[in-house]
Amino acid sequence: MAASQRDISVSEFFAKNRHLLGFDNPRRALLTTVKEAVDNALDACEEAGILPEIWVHIENTTNGRYKVGIQDNGPGILKKQIPLIFGKLLYGSKFHRLRMSRGQQGIGISAAGMYGLLTTGKPVKIMSKVSVRKPAHYYEIQIDTKRNRPEIINGRGDGVDIPPGQAGLKTIDKHGIEWIESDHGTRVTIELEAKYHRGRGSVDEYLEQTAIANPHVTIHYLDPDGNERTYTAVAEVLPAEPREIKPHPYGIELGRLVGMLKDTKAPTISQFLTSSFSKVSPAVARQICEKAGVSTRASVRKTGRHEADLIYQAIQETKIRPPSTDCISPIGEELILKGLHQVVPGEFYAAATRPPSVYRGNPFLIEVGLAYGGGSTAHRVTRDELVELLSESDARTLRQFLATTFDGLGTEAADRILQDAKAKTRVSPGKLKSKEIDRLHEAMRSVNLHDGQTMNILRYANRVPLQFQAGGCAITQTIMSTNWRSYGLGQSRGSLPRGPVTVMVHMASVWVPFTSESKEAVASYPEIQKELRLGLQAVGRKLGMYLRRRKRVKHEGERRNMFLRYLGEVAKAVSQINQTDPKALHDQLLLVAKKKTADADVKLDDRGRPVDEEQLDLGSNVLIVDPAERIADKLNGNGAGDEENEE
Amino acid sequence: MAKKKTSKNPALKAKLSTRDKRTMGQLVGLADGVVDAAQKRRDPHMDIPTRALSNVRYNQSKKIIEMGKNTTRRQLFNLSQAKSFMQSMLVAKGVAQLIEQGKNTSIRGLFYALKGKIAGTNEHTFDVQSDCDPIIEDAEVLLDSLREELHLFADSKGAMVGNLVLTDSGDEIDCSRMGSGGYAIPSIVEPSVMQFKKCDAKFILHVEKGTVWQRFNEDKFWRKHNCILTHGGGQPPRGVRRLLYRLHNELNLPVYCLLDNDPWGYYIYSVIKQGSINLAFESGRMAIPGARFLGLRSKDLEQCGLSDSVKIDLNDTDRKRARQIASYPWFEKKKPWQKEIKRMLDNGFKLEVEALISKDISYVTEEYTPARLKDKDWLD
Repeated sequence: MAASQRDISVSEFFAKNRHLLGFDNPRRALLTTVKEAVDNALDACEEAGILPEIWVHIENTTNGRYKVGIQDNGPGILKKQIPLIFGKLLYGSKFHRLRMSRGQQGIGISAAGMYGLLTTGKPVKIMSKVSVRKPAHYYEIQIDTKRNRPEIINGRGDGVDIPPGQAGLKTIDKHGIEWIESDHGTRVTIELEAKYHRGRGSVDEYLEQTAIANPHVTIHYLDPDGNERTYTAVAEVLPAEPREIKPHPYGIELGRLVGMLKDTKAPTISQFLTSSFSKVSPAVARQICEKAGVSTRASVRKTGRHEADLIYQAIQETKIRPPSTDCISPIGEELILKGLHQVVPGEFYAAATRPPSVYRGNPFLIEVGLAYGGGSTAHRVTRDELVELLSESDARTLRQFLATTFDGLGTEAADRILQDAKAKTRVSPGKLKSKEIDRLHEAMRSVNLHDGQTMNILRYANRVPLQFQAGGCAITQTIMSTNWRSYGLGQSRGSLPRGPVTVMVHMASVWVPFTSESKEAVASYPEIQKELRLGLQAVGRKLGMYLRRRKRVKHEGERRNMFLRYLGEVAKAVSQINQTDPKALHDQLLLVAKKKTADADVKLDDRGRPVDEEQLDLGSNVLIVDPAERIADKLNGNGAGDEENEE
Repeated sequence: MAKKKTSKNPALKAKLSTRDKRTMGQLVGLADGVVDAAQKRRDPHMDIPTRALSNVRYNQSKKIIEMGKNTTRRQLFNLSQAKSFMQSMLVAKGVAQLIEQGKNTSIRGLFYALKGKIAGTNEHTFDVQSDCDPIIEDAEVLLDSLREELHLFADSKGAMVGNLVLTDSGDEIDCSRMGSGGYAIPSIVEPSVMQFKKCDAKFILHVEKGTVWQRFNEDKFWRKHNCILTHGGGQPPRGVRRLLYRLHNELNLPVYCLLDNDPWGYYIYSVIKQGSINLAFESGRMAIPGARFLGLRSKDLEQCGLSDSVKIDLNDTDRKRARQIASYPWFEKKKPWQKEIKRMLDNGFKLEVEALISKDISYVTEEYTPARLKDKDWLD
């Protein structure tokens, strides 16, 4: 027994436990691969101060295998770093620092490469170019799972150098390298066993959501069916660069404190506290030491476990200023509006960026955006897309298919569609006849889904969309526990509100507390929940004001209509009694009606002052789109996500 | 509404009587008001005398209810009044057409003539007749014209028998030879239509409903006691009230009422005696302050020895209505009436005239009524 005991390499462990990293099924594997690569690419570009432009190519090679190529216009990677970044697990720059960034652990992209290797036997191909003048590098890398070490396959273990200029293009051709000509950037190509699908939890959805939260990013996406889509950047500036911060004393655990004491170069406790933590001034350090009963000048070297515990306790009892929060870079209300408007069709948009706050010593910030009035994706699907979706779906019934494929479509709305299409509920989606598909498509387009629609939630952590584990996420839970009825939306107790609403919630933090390794759900700390609630309420209030006004305008319209309806009868009756010209009288009455209802438009507020209805003050962070404008937009070919108005 | 053309066709225009001319003038004035307002960019409106308790006054000396001077403004550009404004104009138009053509129609007939879809909508001008009737009553007060002057009449309700000969539209009618059904009292009983020729009767007995009236007619009560026997089918319509008024005033016949002992019965008596609140403007030509309330009385269960099975429990609406009636100015100062209503409330039950039939089929005609008349046991 003892003889068989040996080290387990990290790579080996993950090879056997790939579900922990989001490679549990072929579908998920494809998404995770794209996601890790895009996240890395965005982080790299932003750190280098380059406006990111990303190419995502997915290609079906053989049955069940896909080639995923992701290229960015980032700074490129130094030659000697390339194998380590893509071929060694847990290698990265982001784990050890407290700074807001997308990736955190450094498992992602190398794990994707390893998954590809395991399932198809193909190596990861990396092409990286640092500058126009210097040679680019091309590597084909495998991971040695036993030793957690990269193995370079091409160029006799040293990769291929591609000279700059015309010569380089020839080399690229010769080696069959996929590369979109760019001054600098990195392209990673991984072939893996995967399954491509659309709808919820798909690559398409991920990229769409990424575009919303990253309005400064341009994404070119070529899907396996050859459809090309481009999300153009709506912002020309990079988000403010997040600063790296020292940990705050409140966020530290005892074990970590002991570790830090061991590693520090500071000679005294006081110096240790002031230099290793943020917001600890010498005065605060003295207070901590006094409470702990330790001398400020005590030597760090001689501090034992017991003293460390005392210091830890003292920290909790000492009042320390919250960490500075300028280390977080929010998307910003204006850009949230722009991003949402570009991707989610709607008539009303609102956004709120909360001031930064702190949970367990980690600064964080909540941003909420809301779009109202967008039709469901079910409205927008074309017949061909529908046929494909049907054939791809592994839902057992048509009802399940509808409810799981389209955003914001509850079972209630699915039932209504099926009823309208005269389709059977329990029929398998793959077995529909052409005529039945026609009927289904027609029904999906025509059924009024507003009532049956539920709120569509887009969750983000540090600008990365969270697509799974919605139920376990603090964001979803807080949305459900917020009372949306007072903002004009229908909501059953403890469930999501109904209506054509999309809410995006962004949590930015130096350290986002995820509930698990797969980084899909935010843990519910009370501080986070409170900020979430305040943010949601801020946009909810604005939605409420907008909806109320819309209702009132509608009511006014009805009022006017009512008068107009009777004017004809009155004019006719009067003319029959005294022989006046009914047409002239009707016209005159119309003028009076207009004058009268215009008067009625001026309402009095609580204090009896006239309220100017036209200047509904919703603040600055609101965007109201005139439906007519949206149609015009569409005609002009603007607005990638704009679709016809369903109102 | 195909009649539009007829109004412009002078050949079909009837000759207008002076009364018609006056009504027509009122109608044209109403229409001109709308045109005027429209030209001045103002909200067209009509001020309709209020037909409610708040706008009636009890005239102590005449002992009738009179209409006050309050008016309710009905505007075209008021959300809750727009439709009724339109309906009022439609009624005015319908009436104008009737006058021009010299025809009469029932209020139901007018409802049908005006009923129709509003152009461009699915909405009807009038949905049911009960939408139309109050508008017609509004038109009466607004134009200060009687229903007859608007060329309208209500459905006939009520019957009469007795030693009376009259002419109705030129036909001589002997009300003592009307068989078991009696003479149906028409809606319009104005002297221009109906004249009294010969009357031997000494008084009028007005009963509430047809069933009781049948009992009296079958027992030939009116022959034995030489009276005129009428009923109004519950709340008597204006034709019946007007006829009673004329018989009472022109032939000097006292009126006795035999009604149920419940708030509904009290109010029927009140309407006959003082006039109705809703149509207070007509009290002057309909109310009979001398009418007397013969029965039923709240003491009758004991006095006549009726069985408990005829009691009908009062419900909350009855109690509320009874208190309301007791507080009307014309009942307020009458002690016997206050006692009567209080006793009914204390009893906790009401009695219908039919209750007397339970004792003996002809008890009401042979014992109860003659005894009350003989003893002068009535309420005034």
